[in-house]
Amino acid sequence: MTPRALDGVRVIDFSTTVAGAWCSRLLADFGAEVVLAEPPAGHPLRQLAPFDHAGASIPAAYFLANKRSVTLDLDSEAGRGVFRGLAARCDVLVSSAAPSWLATRGLEYGSFGRADLVMAHATEHGMAGALAETPGNDLTTAARSGWAALNGLLSREPLKPSGWQSSMCTGVAAWAAVLAALWRRGEHAGEGQEVDVAAVDVMASTFAPAVLRTLYGGETLRRRAEVDMLSGPVPVRDGHFALTISRAHFWRDAMHILGLEDLAADPRWEAGHYRASHKDEYVGRVEEAMRGWTRHDLFQELAARRVIAGPVLEMAELAANEHLQARGFWAQLDDGEAPATFPGAPFKMTRTPWELSGRAPAPGRAAEDGR
Amino acid sequence: MSGPLHGLRGVVLTQAWAGTYCTQLLGFLGADIIQVEVRKRLDSWRGSYDMPMPAALREVPTAKHPWNCNPLYNSVNTNKRCVTLDLQAAEGREVLLRMVRHADFVAENFSPRVLGNLGLGYDALREVKPDIILLSLSAYGNTGPWANVPGIGGTIEPTSGMTALHGYEGGPPMNSGQMYPDAVAGLYGCGAILAALHHRQSTGEGQYIDLSMQEANLAHIGDAAIEWALTGRQRPRMGNRHTTFAPHGIYPCAGENRWVAAASETEVQWLALCGALGHAEWAADARFASASARKANEDALDAAIGAATAGADRDSLARRLSAAGVIAAAVLEADEVASDPHLRERGVIETVTHPEAGTWDMICSPFHFSKTTPGATRPAPCLGEHNFEVFSELLGMSHDEYEALVASGVSGVGPPDGYEGGTG
Repeated sequence: MTPRALDGVRVIDFSTTVAGAWCSRLLADFGAEVVLAEPPAGHPLRQLAPFDHAGASIPAAYFLANKRSVTLDLDSEAGRGVFRGLAARCDVLVSSAAPSWLATRGLEYGSFGRADLVMAHATEHGMAGALAETPGNDLTTAARSGWAALNGLLSREPLKPSGWQSSMCTGVAAWAAVLAALWRRGEHAGEGQEVDVAAVDVMASTFAPAVLRTLYGGETLRRRAEVDMLSGPVPVRDGHFALTISRAHFWRDAMHILGLEDLAADPRWEAGHYRASHKDEYVGRVEEAMRGWTRHDLFQELAARRVIAGPVLEMAELAANEHLQARGFWAQLDDGEAPATFPGAPFKMTRTPWELSGRAPAPGRAAEDGR
Repeated sequence: MSGPLHGLRGVVLTQAWAGTYCTQLLGFLGADIIQVEVRKRLDSWRGSYDMPMPAALREVPTAKHPWNCNPLYNSVNTNKRCVTLDLQAAEGREVLLRMVRHADFVAENFSPRVLGNLGLGYDALREVKPDIILLSLSAYGNTGPWANVPGIGGTIEPTSGMTALHGYEGGPPMNSGQMYPDAVAGLYGCGAILAALHHRQSTGEGQYIDLSMQEANLAHIGDAAIEWALTGRQRPRMGNRHTTFAPHGIYPCAGENRWVAAASETEVQWLALCGALGHAEWAADARFASASARKANEDALDAAIGAATAGADRDSLARRLSAAGVIAAAVLEADEVASDPHLRERGVIETVTHPEAGTWDMICSPFHFSKTTPGATRPAPCLGEHNFEVFSELLGMSHDEYEALVASGVSGVGPPDGYEGGTG
């Protein structure tokens, strides 16, 4: 059998959020044995739209895959008793509950009486601090972390990142933190601990460059005033395309490909700070030249000269993308059910590969018999 | 105290954002991160030798070298040490390989061919350190027809499918306000090295990890990929809206560019929102009486809420909504994030003094551990700041040997000899 990086690691996930579910999904993808402890009514993610033709939640299909499931009512003493029994045999607990929720049910870290237990808290605002009990979600974390203020247009409302981005980042950070705690436990026999990963902390961390630019620059970074090639993709013949000019040769080669020889020849344009302060003199011309191209042709031409550029691709195009197919990115579940294409590994480990072994389980069922 | 990875060391060739953020996170976790930089080709996030000094630093007397004062570099390289080596020179490569013997992991985010062309690929590293872990973090990965296509966050966002999902309802696809895919790739890279360390801990085996930014970011929006696979639908751009819940938006407040985010995911939160906005009558409005009715009438709902928030003070409204149990927050500008009391209380914001750039509040580690708490965050290194410290500590190099490396241009600080441009 191919070894997995996290073989032998046992996880109980009683979180109810995307962040917690993604943390435990990544643990499972690399070999940990993950059991969801979900409420009798089912994991809340099972209620999230959109739904497939059979009425099952698509987010749940992604976030809960590769796990087994038990249903437990943690509001009842009996449910907590069973939960404690499971927890006694695991290495890692994943929680998304607020401090008060755990306290009223007697499920704090100390209550498990296990010095070697790693307990990860993936929450919106953290287990300590003024906001620990304040409700939040991806929208408010986008607001608090600065991302919303920088996304979108200045003339309109700020934009959160799409979908469950901050939850996903929090899940990745919580997963990494769990692995760090397990490594420590491995080096210092039996030393477990609590790991507190808050979405607002993680997204602020991913926003750190904008914060320091603002402080050093003496001027608050704002949303873009307009959509142009400096802010991201602009229209081309069959969609949208991002042309990102940084180094001087990108400029020369791109202008040459676009047939704008006077811009390619004038060395003043090679300096980024000159382009930034004279953008009215070239942006309109370059965007007009781009409009005659298809995404594919422009990408091929620019890539051949190693100019950084990228077409806006949709899911159908990514599913058919020659590069992703050549790398074997897409994963197929071969379990006798209708074929399902899943996104594959976020990275390729050569000795201990990522693996998709089961769909999201039905509540209370092991994945393999959860149909 | 020290972080959970205390005792581990990375010798890293990371640059710009994705790679440097990956190794910064490992540094926050307690690993000793030695960043190897090349003076002839500055890290693009250090900028260039002749770039102007950032505006607020022009009055800081110690701020002399712009490449040590770039906010981009300084934000994502805290807690690291920096050495310089000319990797085109055989002597520089030899010093690097000697350092790798003392490393647990190596990380790099060059274009795929660079490391191999230098003779520093995985096999070369494994020869000097058999259990080494190497993370290569590139735009499109190390294999496949696009392997040598260059990319950065601003182009991976479109090619990973993220851009197609981001934007206003009915509007064009947009990139994020800064190159978000770098941060995503950095987070996965950090976990990838940790997973490999876990395997090494139990088996003694190192390994090679190939991280494609495109794939990491596509996996990060995998629910939208499955939606297409299962239904044939491309998920539309939804602005601030949620697939399930309404209201879920960002609404104007009194003053210029003042906004509040507000949402309800339950009936209790919805009723609290109505009450806190002074519109208890909404609860009885047929258009808003159930979760599905609110979703179906979301335009009217958003218009009503926007009208109710428009004259309100942003911060007091956000507090009032939160206190009532509504999911709500003020939309903070970048400078406000730097002084956010919650982040400060949690130690995510620290005041860090950089030897040239001066003293600034910075966003630091997002990790909190109950037992292995790291010490205060150290500033990003100046170019070559730790050359002799690291070479002597790891390699037992003498002062004379180091001076010879500097004399031959293999190491040193600041612009290489013969550099023609200004030095700031």
